[in-house]
Amino acid sequence: MTTNKHIPPVLELIRDNIIKYGNPLALNHRQNSSWIKDLDLPAKGEILFYTGGEYQLLPYLEPLLKTMTYIDPAGRTFSLLMGARKLVNFIGIAPEKIFAGMLAKDKDRYNSINYKAAYILKKLGYDLCYDAQGEIYSGALLYELGFWQDLQSYAVRVGQAIRKTQAKTVVCLSPHAAEMFKHVYPQFNEFPELEVKTFVELVWEKRDKLSPIPVDSPVVVHDSCRLARDLGISKEIRDILDSVGVSYVEPIRNKEWTTCCGGPGKMLFPEISKIIAKRRVIELTDTGASKALLACPYCLSSLQGGLNPDKPMVIEDLVEFIYRGVNHNVEL
Amino acid sequence: MSNFKKELAEYTKNLNKATQDENLTRAVTRAVKSYRQNVEAAMSQYPHTPALAEEVRTIKDYSMANNKELLERAMQAIESNHGQAFYAEDREAAMNIVKKIVGQGKIIVKGKSMLAEELNLREALQEEGNEVWETDLGEFILQLKNDRPMHILAPSIHVPREQVAEIFSKFFQKEIPADIAEEVSVVREFLREKYFAADVGISGANVVAADTGQIVIIENEGNVRLCTGVPPVHIVIVGIEKLVPTFQDAMKVSEVTWRYANYGAPGYVNIISGPSRTGDIEKVITYGAHGPKEFYVIFVNNGRQAMMSDENYRQALHCLRCGGCMYECPVFQVTAGHYGRTYLSGIGSVWTSFVEGVESAAPMLYTCLRCGRCVERCPMQIDVPKMVGRLRSEVVSD
Repeated sequence: MTTNKHIPPVLELIRDNIIKYGNPLALNHRQNSSWIKDLDLPAKGEILFYTGGEYQLLPYLEPLLKTMTYIDPAGRTFSLLMGARKLVNFIGIAPEKIFAGMLAKDKDRYNSINYKAAYILKKLGYDLCYDAQGEIYSGALLYELGFWQDLQSYAVRVGQAIRKTQAKTVVCLSPHAAEMFKHVYPQFNEFPELEVKTFVELVWEKRDKLSPIPVDSPVVVHDSCRLARDLGISKEIRDILDSVGVSYVEPIRNKEWTTCCGGPGKMLFPEISKIIAKRRVIELTDTGASKALLACPYCLSSLQGGLNPDKPMVIEDLVEFIYRGVNHNVEL
Repeated sequence: MSNFKKELAEYTKNLNKATQDENLTRAVTRAVKSYRQNVEAAMSQYPHTPALAEEVRTIKDYSMANNKELLERAMQAIESNHGQAFYAEDREAAMNIVKKIVGQGKIIVKGKSMLAEELNLREALQEEGNEVWETDLGEFILQLKNDRPMHILAPSIHVPREQVAEIFSKFFQKEIPADIAEEVSVVREFLREKYFAADVGISGANVVAADTGQIVIIENEGNVRLCTGVPPVHIVIVGIEKLVPTFQDAMKVSEVTWRYANYGAPGYVNIISGPSRTGDIEKVITYGAHGPKEFYVIFVNNGRQAMMSDENYRQALHCLRCGGCMYECPVFQVTAGHYGRTYLSGIGSVWTSFVEGVESAAPMLYTCLRCGRCVERCPMQIDVPKMVGRLRSEVVSD
């Protein structure tokens, strides 16, 4: 572990987990790929379905943050936690997993988003592969948090994991992963040349195959910062909604002017992050819509946490929404 | 516990406290709304502005690459206009020059300047036994409140009229009602006397034209006009990044600055070339007519050259200080200037890294969401999230 005095301790924890376990919360392959169920996806193929384990993290995030909100990162309790972290080296269990795991909720819902996304893409005719044993986290947090030196070697690991699948195209569920593959990793030597797509783009390309989705009232679209600003994807979501016959309304700030869900601040400033999420939820509910659609795991988790009990709104991932319109027999 | 952990804990506590301050939230929410409306109106009235901003980006690129030469040219031009030009490497050097010109026991009126905040100029001059008055209304309120600016253009954005009335009643030792017009009027009356009693006026600058040595200062209140026009001595303190090649360039930079600061046209645009002069008697030029007799310009580096020489951060110097990014920042919207030190929010964390060091900037650097909406607003398209990411990597590998 680095002992740098200028890094907030929680960030070191995340970094260490990524480096050591290929996952920010040290979740293992079994936990990350449990969503796959009856989907028969080969480990090798042209189009790699890449979850990066990100939706799988979500059920742990809220409980973890609730705990963290009460722990002063500079205080003694946190130091104890950090001390406990050292136990991992001996027994291989991350303390954050122990307490977060105990409180874990919504696990089925978030895990099933991976399943539903893969199911939709298969139904649309994409021949996907998925490497249940070899997939590791994209490294986006190493990039975001400034661990650029670690990223050098991590990029090699990610590159190797991708190369093993023989994929020419990688389809990312999280826009944060897509940003890494599209904008960050190509700057590194010997990173495999890849066509990088998001789930939204692949669906958009075959949107004429989708069946109409009946809805009672217009939905509101929340654009994720990464997707709208860094990847330039916002019109595609509206096109998809048009093609499934769903009317939508726009919040006061949208597309490239979208308001952040507060998610990136969660680890260090959970209270502020929550306030920002609540404010975004107000922008969304002010449209009169009762359902908001988005396409980013962290937006999903943040906005879910920012809901106002007095003004109910359903926050749904685009994956969950489209799944309803895809002809399927499996009930989840 | 290390100092950093203590600082971070204190900073976090302060940020969280700010979000609970209803006055602040209300004031900033209103400000964001009117900023967006005003800027939209200004843009539709002057639709050439985005293209002009693009031109200004080119001017800034050129100016940063040729800063040394522009500095030399500007200093020569100022001297030939019968002003005196100085270069200061850092805060200490800048303050030594200012102190030497001002001396002790003087009355000083000053206009709003971020560089003055950076140098702690008012406090340093007060320590020398001078009487210093902030003349920008917002800064004046903060001076009495012993508080620091919470927005670069609207420094007292967080103080509602009721609190202003309270502060003024105490200071003026009479009952001042919570009525904005009356509050403005009482300050006008008080400072009017100070302008005429002052020995020295101090101002910053929005842009400096290297070819003519002219200083441009944009304002609305008219206080800068008085500060720089009435006292016998005028001192300008300005960062070296404010230099552009020509007067025409300076006008372009100015227009883009005020437009993105949400003004169709600001109250005043002051253009100052040197001490006041007259040739009305026998065509003999005599300095010190109605305006200042002495005119000094101090160009300050204080970390800017380091920023300029690193291509990863050079663009941060293009900042026009229009303040638009702050209104778009989700964190700033709920914390205002508590997300900052002298310089505020995302761009402020980049500036802080250079003028105070990355160690001081670390908590701010990690506050940025890297959401990127500031870049959409910025007329200079400064990629703050990218710089923040890179600076974090410097914090980590420190």
